[in-house]
Amino acid sequence: MNIIEMLKDGNDQKHVVDAYELALKVQPSINAVVTFIDPCKQLEEVKEGKLKGIPVALKDNVNTKGIKTTASSKILENYIPVYDATIVKKLKDAGAVIIAKTSMDELAMGGTNLSAATGPVYNPYDVTRISGGSSGGSAAVVASGVVPLAIGSDTGDSIRKPASFCGVVGVKPTYGRISRYGIIPYASSLDHVGYFTRNVKDAALALEVLAGYDPMDATSSQREVPEYSKLINSDITGKKVIVFKNVLNHMNNEETLALFQRVIDGLKTKGAIVKEVTFNEELMKAILPTYHVIANCEATANHSNLDGIRFGNKQEGSDTFEIMCNTRSQGLSSSIRKRFVIGSYALFEENQEKYLKQAQRVRRMIVEEISSYLKDADVLIAPASNAAAPKIADVLAKHVEEDLVAENHMVFANFSGYPSMTLPMGYIHQHLPVGVNITANAFKEVDMFSIGSVIEEITGLKDAYKEVK
Amino acid sequence: MEYDVVIGIEIHCELKTKSKMFSAGLTSFGKQANTCVNEIDLGHPGTLPTVNKEAVKKALQACIALHLEIDSLVKFDRKNYYYSDLPKGFQITQQFHPLGRHGYITIHVDGQSKRIGINRIHMEEDTAKQYHLDEVTLIDYNRAGTPLIEIVSEPDMTSGKEAAAYVEALRQTLYYLGVSDVKMEEGSLRCDVNVSLKPKGSSVFGVKNEIKNLNSISNVEKAIDYEIKRQKDILDAGGVIEQATRRYDETTKTTVLMRKKEGSVDYKFFPEPNILPIQLDPKWIEEITNHLGELPNARKERFMKDYGLSEYDAMLLIDNKELGEYYQEVMKTCKNPKLAANWVIGDLQAILSKNNLTIQTTCIPSVSLAKLVNMIEDKTISGKQAKEVFELMVQGKDPEVIVKEKGMKQVSDEASILAMINEVLDENQQSITDYKNGKDRAIGFLVGQVMKKSKGQANPAMTNALVLQEIAKR
Repeated sequence: MNIIEMLKDGNDQKHVVDAYELALKVQPSINAVVTFIDPCKQLEEVKEGKLKGIPVALKDNVNTKGIKTTASSKILENYIPVYDATIVKKLKDAGAVIIAKTSMDELAMGGTNLSAATGPVYNPYDVTRISGGSSGGSAAVVASGVVPLAIGSDTGDSIRKPASFCGVVGVKPTYGRISRYGIIPYASSLDHVGYFTRNVKDAALALEVLAGYDPMDATSSQREVPEYSKLINSDITGKKVIVFKNVLNHMNNEETLALFQRVIDGLKTKGAIVKEVTFNEELMKAILPTYHVIANCEATANHSNLDGIRFGNKQEGSDTFEIMCNTRSQGLSSSIRKRFVIGSYALFEENQEKYLKQAQRVRRMIVEEISSYLKDADVLIAPASNAAAPKIADVLAKHVEEDLVAENHMVFANFSGYPSMTLPMGYIHQHLPVGVNITANAFKEVDMFSIGSVIEEITGLKDAYKEVK
Repeated sequence: MEYDVVIGIEIHCELKTKSKMFSAGLTSFGKQANTCVNEIDLGHPGTLPTVNKEAVKKALQACIALHLEIDSLVKFDRKNYYYSDLPKGFQITQQFHPLGRHGYITIHVDGQSKRIGINRIHMEEDTAKQYHLDEVTLIDYNRAGTPLIEIVSEPDMTSGKEAAAYVEALRQTLYYLGVSDVKMEEGSLRCDVNVSLKPKGSSVFGVKNEIKNLNSISNVEKAIDYEIKRQKDILDAGGVIEQATRRYDETTKTTVLMRKKEGSVDYKFFPEPNILPIQLDPKWIEEITNHLGELPNARKERFMKDYGLSEYDAMLLIDNKELGEYYQEVMKTCKNPKLAANWVIGDLQAILSKNNLTIQTTCIPSVSLAKLVNMIEDKTISGKQAKEVFELMVQGKDPEVIVKEKGMKQVSDEASILAMINEVLDENQQSITDYKNGKDRAIGFLVGQVMKKSKGQANPAMTNALVLQEIAKR
């Protein structure tokens, strides 16, 4: 059942308990959950609101007061927050019931969900494949029908990519639209809080609850929150859709390209004006290196608080400095430490101009390039990935090329802060989902949802999920 | 060899705000350890900073009062280093765009005025306080996140005396503004001094030594004077100065090496991504400028002009802000400014310190002191009587009531004094003779007799003059 159906049906107790039981049942197959939260107590005090009685899951970087929050890292394996993230309060105030904290790549750094302290999340459509990351657990619990809504976070494409691999809707709204207060960060200027649902209308409704100004987040927007779910307009006559030709040129999966063409044709049939443009190729190739520099610089500072002194998995040492060194070297995996070293290197006084400042300039150029096209259009669309979710064994054996433009173009929505959403586009190899991505202008989530709802009609993939045996 | 001394000073000043620089956690002094902290102050995962507007206001007040150019686009940066007193692993500060630049303060040393340049004032957050014991380190996070301004001087000072005057002038200004408690001994004003020597007239700076955490103004002066001599002795002996951080040891009155500087630390400063640049409203800045309140120099000049006080008296009255304000209150109903100043500076301060009171806790209302001074001015009571009355005022009594109860009224009526004098003269022929034979002491005796007759209430000065006048007639 989706959110709207559950609300109509009104059987709160049953939906929540069913979701909790299903989560437990599918756990051995998909390993999506870090911590289960028995909903009994919450069910006694469900509030009236837009999500009354809706079971939800939270990515394990969303702080929950009194409930273990690990960000899937060993260094926080016993961390129990003393406060709730702003969105936790918002969800509870709207009547939602939290049933699980979901697995993620360690500290949200990664795109496979293989680096989680609790092990990989297995794709519900094929458990030999990755869920994608870093919000893999949340994508998987929505894809397997456990919950109709799960929170994620997106710094590069950490919601929109697993959404593609798991065949669900993944939304990253405009930067500042949803408060980041209480979300264990990755890279502050790129981090977005978002979520997964199984259809566009649910996604629009969820944003009404999650969005809004938060005085605790100085980057949060003071704009009014529209009633997105009522503003979705499936009449898209005259809507301008742009496609970056050279993003497609980087893709080679015939099935994916055919599915995308079906979407384009469908949109045209519905009256949209589709225009192909070319993104500056040099800038396109610069997207990923630019991302790595900015993200690693911010991340290394953001996680300097993980020192074992005040919280976390403290290791012994003869003085405070040794405690900090031991805690960090034993609590953080080597790939995380590698990122921190790279970030620190780029921050050194003698390097900062060459790396961080240069990356920030390139980021601005990329954003200007995108906005030069989007300012005359409503949305930009592209396949969310070239291929389906790769096999876990192939990723571990490094048979999967990770740094391809075709697989990383969605980062530009993090650079620009523009709202961006992935929804199912179809299946390749008969059964593996692949998504289509829609990016709109800042605070024009309604455009994104409207086009999305039409694509849903074209694909017929509303409320798709995969029953896990 | 002769040297030019170059001194620069960095001051960290805690702002007197209710809450912290980047959180709603309460600021505190002397509260139980780790009770004034929230998740932000402790650097818990997922927390974000928000800027305390009151702290920005206080920092602006300091910038304006010290004539700095304001950068109205407020930006913050991260200063990255690992230390157990630094919860986030970075400090939020203003490295690249300080709130204010290029100001000055005027100091007065040995009758000379001198402008000391202020290079910058920026806002930042304080660290936690650590207590290193034998076996363990204790950390109190109450201080973590307390708003600070750092005030960096130009290297414009040349002696311990000038440096002390600079710190005192800043301290006074910041106190008058109400931006800080400026208590050096409690650490709400912390002072690091850089001292270097160069051959007289040379344009090349010498190697500097930094003296940290000086806890009083007199120690600033003593530490610098010692350090100048230490460096001079080394240079005179043909040695070289090594760049180092030192501390002042109060018992030996010397500066002691803490650590040598081996290259500078790279703090990897970069802009704080969680705080977007904040454009200050020019109207707000203007409003703050217009409501700065009176600063020490302005008050001193006003006291000299309005009350006709000497510069010395005016200085004594502005040194203690509250004492000056008390004096102003006295002057609302008092007729003799000079006499009132003497009482406030002299007897009042003496009695306060004797009774362990401050001007804020005194039990002598300003209006009572004004009454007392007015009674002296009106010749209602004598100066000597006034001292007696004052002793009783400390118990909270009204001076007019005291005078009445004690029947202390001074007789300044010439006719009645004359009558008493002539009675006394008639009764003491011998004294008149003695006086005429050159025994001046006889006058004292006669005056004493008149005072006795008047029960001590005759105006002594008048009595003295009238006795002389009357005796001449005989």
